[in-house]
Amino acid sequence: MLAWFPEWPLSALIAGSILVLHGVIALTGPMWAPYSPTKILVGQPFASPSTAHLLGTDNLGRDVFSRVVYGERTVLTLSLSATGLGVLCGASLGLVTGYARGWLDEVVMRIIDIMISIPPLILALLVISALGSSPLLLVLTVAFFYVPRVARVVRAATLRVVMEDFVTIARARGESAWSIAHKELLPNVIGTVLVEFAIRSGYAVIFIGSMGFLGFGPPPPTPEWGLMVNQGREYIVTAPWAVVAPAVGIASLVVPLNLFTDGMARLLGQSVPWERH
Amino acid sequence: MLIRLVASRIVISLFSLLVVSWAIFWAVEWLPGDTAARVLGREASAESVRVLRARLHLADPPLVRYGHWLEHFVQGDWGESLAADRPVVRYVFPRLRNTLILAGLALGLYLILSLTIGVVTALFHGQVLDTWLSVLTLVGMSMPEFVVGILLVLVFAVAVPLFPPLALMDQVKTFPGLLYTLSLPILTLTAAMTAYAVRMMRDNLIEVLESDYVQMATLKGLPRVRVVLRHALPNALGPALNVTALNIAWLMGGVVVVETVFNFPGLGRLLVDSISFHDVPVIEAIAVVLASVYMLANLVADVLVLVLNPRLRAS
Repeated sequence: MLAWFPEWPLSALIAGSILVLHGVIALTGPMWAPYSPTKILVGQPFASPSTAHLLGTDNLGRDVFSRVVYGERTVLTLSLSATGLGVLCGASLGLVTGYARGWLDEVVMRIIDIMISIPPLILALLVISALGSSPLLLVLTVAFFYVPRVARVVRAATLRVVMEDFVTIARARGESAWSIAHKELLPNVIGTVLVEFAIRSGYAVIFIGSMGFLGFGPPPPTPEWGLMVNQGREYIVTAPWAVVAPAVGIASLVVPLNLFTDGMARLLGQSVPWERH
Repeated sequence: MLIRLVASRIVISLFSLLVVSWAIFWAVEWLPGDTAARVLGREASAESVRVLRARLHLADPPLVRYGHWLEHFVQGDWGESLAADRPVVRYVFPRLRNTLILAGLALGLYLILSLTIGVVTALFHGQVLDTWLSVLTLVGMSMPEFVVGILLVLVFAVAVPLFPPLALMDQVKTFPGLLYTLSLPILTLTAAMTAYAVRMMRDNLIEVLESDYVQMATLKGLPRVRVVLRHALPNALGPALNVTALNIAWLMGGVVVVETVFNFPGLGRLLVDSISFHDVPVIEAIAVVLASVYMLANLVADVLVLVLNPRLRAS
């Protein structure tokens, strides 16, 4: 792994370090955040940034810095688990259909065509408002939208590998489907899966943030960045910091994530499937 | 072969639309609380709740109601808004008009910007400006619309009060006034669409610029501008159309977020409001309209890819 470093573009290395920082904040943040994220009136409402409140306080006198730090964990947990689940299910589905081909593949691909044509944000709004806004449901909804998209990409990659001689030879040797899948196919599509995971984590942060902003994410007073931006909007003139801090939080997460993905994809010789999320 | 493929895409899209309309109907039916009781409020008598339930056919089995609803919907009868007590069509159309104005202006600006920037990137391919544009497009693509919108408000409406922070349509009289009022939401939508298009067009243009016939044109000694404009650009236009169709599909979700940021009285904002008012017929109508445009734009993008890239037709 370390031997790769000289090949990584500088932008991807810088982006990678910022991502590590985000990870560290998510893991350790609650240990050193100065205040509780939900406790009101830990300072005067609308207090501007000072040594006592690094990023000021919001309309309820909550410490914005602590809320942003705790929010990191909320945002990363939700988006990474949604992406992980979606990519895991999608990649398995793509691997199986790409290897099996035949009627199973046909049927699954038609279902996938239909699933992909569903407009994500609109359907997510309806589903969340119908079944109630729970973090678990949000994760499942986002994963549901990723499964067909990942499956399609991984299936295409699998189809390319299945045609190769070494798979034919493995089949001729009489190896089991399972052994072929994890010894021959998986090592050859893992790059595709990694790029899918990286790019979709960024989309998930944006999607979940937007849901939070629209009021369909985790309910208040959860420290979630999208929700914080929406709540701070009303007081944008009096307390701009309450809006800027979570907005910069999201931007400083997604931009490095995509820069990193771009660099990683180039190293792995993959094209990045940029999409309109 | 091509016609068969396109026809199968259209059939799949129609079927998807049916599935999606059904999903929308189900999701809305599942909204918590009894619609009739919710609309009439807490003081409603049992009798009036019963009457309204009968009027809304709430006692029928869901599949029957879906059939009813679909039949009326395709005939243009979208029911009565529960919150506004008006026909949904009359309630939704002024909002649809507003959204079309906003989306249309954003698309216009997007076309001008992305074509210009696309040509500039091609002309300066491999130079410093190109590198910066490439980073800039990636940043533009990575920013959620609500973050871009709110940052624009902070800079151009709060810190330097150049433009209005909210896009309120009722004071708009003239076209310049319209542009002034909508400047920030237009910019927000345009930024995301342009970043994506330039990124896609750039990758494609680079491929075209490295192709044999463009190299040939350069070796013949043609000026750079002529090579790019006459030889390379026409071949990049197809993918640009495809990207534009994808951008239009994206707009259907983008307007929901951006209209919320700027309190703009459009379809997206009405959808979010109607969900909290539990206004079932309005939610269904807007969701179906947005979903249809989304799916139509995606269909166009798919068909364009098939028409423009014969290699893909085989699979």
